[in-house]
Amino acid sequence: MKKPRRDFITGVVGLVGVAFFYFQILDIKKPAKLLEPGPRLMPYVALIIIALSSIALIIRGWKDREKSEKPYFPQGGIKKITRSYILLWLYAIALSIFGFIISTPFATFAFIYDLKGESKVKVVTTVIISIVVTAVLYAMFVYGFQVRLPKGILFS
Amino acid sequence: MVSRSDSLREFFSAEVTMADYISAIMVCLQPVNFILIIAMVALGIVFGAIPGLSATLGIALLLPITFGISTTTSFVLLLAIWIGGVSGTFISAVLIGIPGSSSAIATCFDGYPMTQKGQAGKALGIGMTASFIGSVFSIIVATILSPIIANVALKLGPWEYFSLCFCAITLIASLSKGSIFKGLMAAGIGLLMGCFGNDPINGMSRFTFGNINLYGGISTVAQMLGMFAMCQIIRDSAKGEAKMPECSVENMKGLGVSFRDIIDNIKTILFAFVVGLWIGFLPGMGSGISNMVAYGYAKSISKEPETFGKGNPSGIWASETANNASLGGALIPMMALGIPGDGITAMLIAALTIHGLQAGPLFMVEQHDLAMLIFACVLVSAIVTYLIQIVTKRWFPYILKIPYHYLYTVILVISYIGGFGISSNMFDIYVMLALCLLSVFMSMAGLPTSPLVLAFILEPKLEGYFRRGISYDHGSYAKFFTRPVSLILLLVSVLCVVWPFISDALKKKKAAKATAAAPEVNDD
Repeated sequence: MKKPRRDFITGVVGLVGVAFFYFQILDIKKPAKLLEPGPRLMPYVALIIIALSSIALIIRGWKDREKSEKPYFPQGGIKKITRSYILLWLYAIALSIFGFIISTPFATFAFIYDLKGESKVKVVTTVIISIVVTAVLYAMFVYGFQVRLPKGILFS
Repeated sequence: MVSRSDSLREFFSAEVTMADYISAIMVCLQPVNFILIIAMVALGIVFGAIPGLSATLGIALLLPITFGISTTTSFVLLLAIWIGGVSGTFISAVLIGIPGSSSAIATCFDGYPMTQKGQAGKALGIGMTASFIGSVFSIIVATILSPIIANVALKLGPWEYFSLCFCAITLIASLSKGSIFKGLMAAGIGLLMGCFGNDPINGMSRFTFGNINLYGGISTVAQMLGMFAMCQIIRDSAKGEAKMPECSVENMKGLGVSFRDIIDNIKTILFAFVVGLWIGFLPGMGSGISNMVAYGYAKSISKEPETFGKGNPSGIWASETANNASLGGALIPMMALGIPGDGITAMLIAALTIHGLQAGPLFMVEQHDLAMLIFACVLVSAIVTYLIQIVTKRWFPYILKIPYHYLYTVILVISYIGGFGISSNMFDIYVMLALCLLSVFMSMAGLPTSPLVLAFILEPKLEGYFRRGISYDHGSYAKFFTRPVSLILLLVSVLCVVWPFISDALKKKKAAKATAAAPEVNDD
């Protein structure tokens, strides 16, 4: 069986999203005796726009189903983006537990290796860069811009 | 007691505005602010020059920093990186044939062939000078026109404002690349995202899922960082686009442009300027379109159109003047009406909101010092950009040699700092990561980001004006259609949505006629 086109999938996902948010809208309380349409209006408008666009995309995807479609990512791209995204979450979790100072050098090291592609990087250089980046950003934001950074559950 | 109309009249009097403008320039020239302008312009040029990075990303990264600093300093930072970033896009277009953003696509057509012919220095000089002309003069026009338009806008009611916001969203959705349905879908998602949190009129909570962190809605900064910075980095890396070709470092001495060159291309420059300014003014269009239109015109009036695409300097003059003139054009609706013309001005409006201010005609009256500072800072930044580019021109090729993996890593870490800095809460980082995923799926589906951002920023205004309009008219919708300005704007909106279908139908009809006529010709 031929893989459905991206437009078709987008339309179906759009309709599923519309169904989910439709039931959420029903939970929005509407004050009595309003002269205007109330707080449910704009969510309904948004859902109608998404629903109509989704239907149009499904129809177009179905019409063009025989046409071939170039993959969005090259070979191995999906695996790579999944790995990168997991890394982003791991860093977020590490930040909440260990805080900025401890997590960032490791995260920086991991990001550099994840993003390097075919470029060559040296371990020692990467370690130094990871530590320097952490120190410079910490000093710049905490002392320079007075921005608070995560301390981590273990240290707060 | 001074009445409101008196204070308005006073604000719009030329003397007061000029005096305020000069004092705003002096604020920009204060040592700390001036150093910040130089630093941010330089950073902006780097962001603009590197394909994949952009002024939009620069502003997204800077937004969280502005929480802890004064409004004046915040805008000095944001505006300087904006101007530097918009101007810097021609560098990679000229040196490696890859535009820094869509605003420099037409610059590649003749800029890169000039580099291949050993004229990189001249091509860069033209790019710098054309950018300077386009930005400086458009800013002057914006400074003069914005108060006048704001004065007119003060007479408009919620009906006209609703129609204006509606028109802006439909324009950007219908003009976005891909199909109109994808643009509309993205706008719908933006509207829905804007509905999260308490509603702007009654304060009823919507889509909060019982989480108190969502009562204030989705953070604009988290949205920008997740959808622009993070998504772009992991997507480019997965697509294998995070690498740069080698570039030439030859013939970089001198400005490369003489006054004679400007005179020879004056017609092209003038037309490109007007086109850029007008297209920048229209919501949803901007520099990505203006550079192509101006390039097309330059080619059409040239005595040697066949030389275009092979290294004709007029192509760069047209493209760079137009895309930088769009900058001043986009500033007019932002300042006078509070309507963002593109993604960057949407972010600047978000920055105002962060500081408890609202862009629009009243902003120009109630915060006229800051309004003047914005105009002055943009002008000073444009001049500083040109000076920095003249001094650092010979080092432009080195910007393109910065390894992506180091640069992207630093941007990722700054994104986390920004996400946390919004409310010193990890929740916004999780929102940022969720929106990053949404953005990845959107780009896989071919849904454009600009309509989403614009709809998200405009949602509270759109909803507020609509509901207030109905309330003021005791539950009637009639005034949206009976007030002329509102009606015209609504008709334009409808036309924007309907026109692609009419255009397609006309094209099909024309093609059918042509095929029907073809056999008759053969028979003869």
